[in-house]
Amino acid sequence: MLPAVPMALLAGLLTLPAAAQPSPEQKQANLASFEFVWTTIRDQHWDKNPGGLDWQATGAEFRPRVEQAATAEEARQILREMLGRLKQTHFAIFPAPVYQDLDAASVGDGWPGFEVQVVDGRVLVSGGSVVPLGWEVLSVEGTDLKSLVAALQQDPAIHELQLARAVAARLGGPAGATRQLAFADGSGNPQTREIQLQPPRGELSGFGNLPPQHVWFEAKKLGETGYIRFNLFLDLVRVMQSFGEAVEACAKCDGIVIDLRGNTGGIGAMAMGLAGWFVDKPGQRLGTMTLRNATLNFVINPRAGAYHGPLAILVDGSSASTAEIFAGGLQALGRARILGTPTAGAALPSVIARLPNGDGFQYAVANYVSVSGQTLEAKGVAPDAEIRLTRETLLAGQDTVLDAALAWIRSQKRQ
Amino acid sequence: MNRLIVRWLATAACAAAYVHAQALPTAESILDRFVEVTGGKAAYQQHTTEIMAGTMAIAPQGLTGRLTRYALAPDKEYSVVELGPIGKIESGVSGGIAWERSALLGPRLKSGEERAQALREAQFASPLAWRKNFPKAETSGVETVNGEECYKLLLTPAAGKPETRFYSRKSGLLLKAVATAVTPMGEITAEVEISGYQQFGGVLYPTQSRQKTGGQEMVITITDVRHNEAVPDGYFEVPAEIQALILKAAGK
Repeated sequence: MLPAVPMALLAGLLTLPAAAQPSPEQKQANLASFEFVWTTIRDQHWDKNPGGLDWQATGAEFRPRVEQAATAEEARQILREMLGRLKQTHFAIFPAPVYQDLDAASVGDGWPGFEVQVVDGRVLVSGGSVVPLGWEVLSVEGTDLKSLVAALQQDPAIHELQLARAVAARLGGPAGATRQLAFADGSGNPQTREIQLQPPRGELSGFGNLPPQHVWFEAKKLGETGYIRFNLFLDLVRVMQSFGEAVEACAKCDGIVIDLRGNTGGIGAMAMGLAGWFVDKPGQRLGTMTLRNATLNFVINPRAGAYHGPLAILVDGSSASTAEIFAGGLQALGRARILGTPTAGAALPSVIARLPNGDGFQYAVANYVSVSGQTLEAKGVAPDAEIRLTRETLLAGQDTVLDAALAWIRSQKRQ
Repeated sequence: MNRLIVRWLATAACAAAYVHAQALPTAESILDRFVEVTGGKAAYQQHTTEIMAGTMAIAPQGLTGRLTRYALAPDKEYSVVELGPIGKIESGVSGGIAWERSALLGPRLKSGEERAQALREAQFASPLAWRKNFPKAETSGVETVNGEECYKLLLTPAAGKPETRFYSRKSGLLLKAVATAVTPMGEITAEVEISGYQQFGGVLYPTQSRQKTGGQEMVITITDVRHNEAVPDGYFEVPAEIQALILKAAGK
C-alpha cells in the first residue's frame, strides 16, 4: 500500500495532462495564429522561398505540431522555432503581455518636456530643460520604470528601439495633463515632480494610411559648424525644403553635423533626396532594397548646391530605418563620419500585427543591403567613433557625442 | 500506353500551334486596327495640343493625387503629378531633353534608356507613331484578359526594353500592357490593365488604368481630355534648374 501523500501527489500529477489540454478556443486561436504567420510570410516575404526554405514543406512540418500544442506558450515556442528557420531578423513573436507593454501607446500626444535614454537599464534624462540632465526617472504615476525596462530587456526579441518607445509611451499622455514622477537626482536622493505634459513639438504630418505624427526640424549654427536635427523622415515637402535651405545657408561652414539620435525613420526615399546635398558624383547609391517583385536602388541625385566639407552624423540605438539607410550609405561611400552608438538594426520595413491569440507578430516585407554589400539588419550601422552616454557626463551637462563630432570637424579644418 | 498518349498530345499540340500561328494576324494589322477603332488617323491628326486631367490612387498606402499632362505636336510634353504628402512631381520633354523635378530628389536630367522611353511617350498621338517607336513588332499568340480573348504583341523599341501588349480580338482595343520602366532606381516592370474607353475630341481614350508593380497597385482615372487649347506660356520650356544641369554636364 502506498503512503497517502505520494498517492495524492500521483493523483495530482495524473490530473495535470487533463488540466493542460487546451480548450477548443485556445486550440483554434493557436491554429489561426499559425495560419496568419505562415500565410503572411508565404505572401509577403521578398523571397519566394523565404530564407531558402521550401515554405510549403515547412508549413506541413509545423502545422501538426501547433495542433498538438498543449498550451499557448508551447504553440508560441513552435512558431518561434519556425521563424527561427528563416535565420532573419524582424521575424518575431511577442507574448501577449509583452505586446501589450510595447503597444501601450500613450493616450494623447503630450510629452513631459524632457528626453530620456535607457542607459545600463536605467531611464536617464538626456535632453530638455524641465529636469536636470542625468537624473534617473524611477516611476511615472506609480509605475516602476526600472521593472518595466528589466522585464522588456529579458526578452531577446525586444530591441533598444522598442524599449525606448515603450518607455516614451509611459511618459506621454494628453497635453495639459499632469504626471507624478519620481526621480533620483545626481546624488541619488529621491525627488518628486508634478509635471504638466506639454503639447507635442513640430507639425502634425500624415502619410497615407499611417497615423499622423508630429515632425519637428531644427537647424542652427554652433560656431562655424552647421547643426541639423529632425525626429522623423516624414513631412516630406517641408523637411526636404528646410534641409536644403539649411545646407545652402551653410555653404561656407567648417562642417555639418546631422543629429539622427532618436530618429526612427520614415519615408525611405527621403534618404536618397537628402544624400544628394552631400554628393556631387552622379550614379552613386546608398544601397539596394529587394521586394517580392522589384529591386530598388537607392540612387543619389546630386544637388547643384551640394556641400563638400566634413560631414558628421550622430546616431544611437533609436536611430532606425531610413536614418540607418542614410547614415550607413554615406558611411559606406566614405562621405560621412558616424559617431555615437550602434543603430537599431531595423532598416527593413517591418510590420507588427496582432495575432488571433493576442500575441504580437513582427515581420519584414523587404530586404536591404547597403552599397558596401553589408546588411544593416540586426547589426545596424557601426559608428566610426563609438561614444556612449554615461550618467556622469549627462550630470555634468555634456553631450559627449556632439562634442566629439565638433572636435573631429575642427581637426579636419586643421588638416 | 502512357508514352503513346504523351506522344499524341505533343503531336496534337504542335499541330494546334501551327494552325494557331497560321491564324494570327500581323502586328501591323492589329496596331493599325487600333488606330481605326479609336477614331481613325484623321481624327488623331486634327489635334495639335492635348490637355489631359485625372486622378491617381495608391489604395494600400492611402495615397491619392491629381495629374495633368500637357502635350504639343509633334513631340513636346509637360506633366505634373501632385501626390498628397510626396508633393509635386514635374516631368517634361522638349527639344530632345527629358527631365524631372520633385521635392524629393530635386531636378534631374534623364539619360540613356530612361530618356529614350520618355521621348517615345512624348510623341503626340502616339498610336499613329508605332512604326517609328517600335521598329520590330510581332504577334506572339492569343491570351485571355479579364475573360476577353486578346492578341498578344511583342513590341521592341530601337532603344529600351520590349513591351508586351494585349489587344482585344473582338473590339481591337488595347486591354493590357506589360512594360519595364527604366528608372535610376532600377528596372521596374508594371502590368497595366486598361479599360473605360470614352470619346474625347473624336478619339477613344482609356479612362482607367490599373497598374500593378512591386506588390503595389495604382489606379489612374482620366476625367477630362481637351484638344487644341492654348497651353500656358513656358510649359514646354526646359526649367532654368535643368538648364543649369545641362551646362554643368557640359563642363560650362
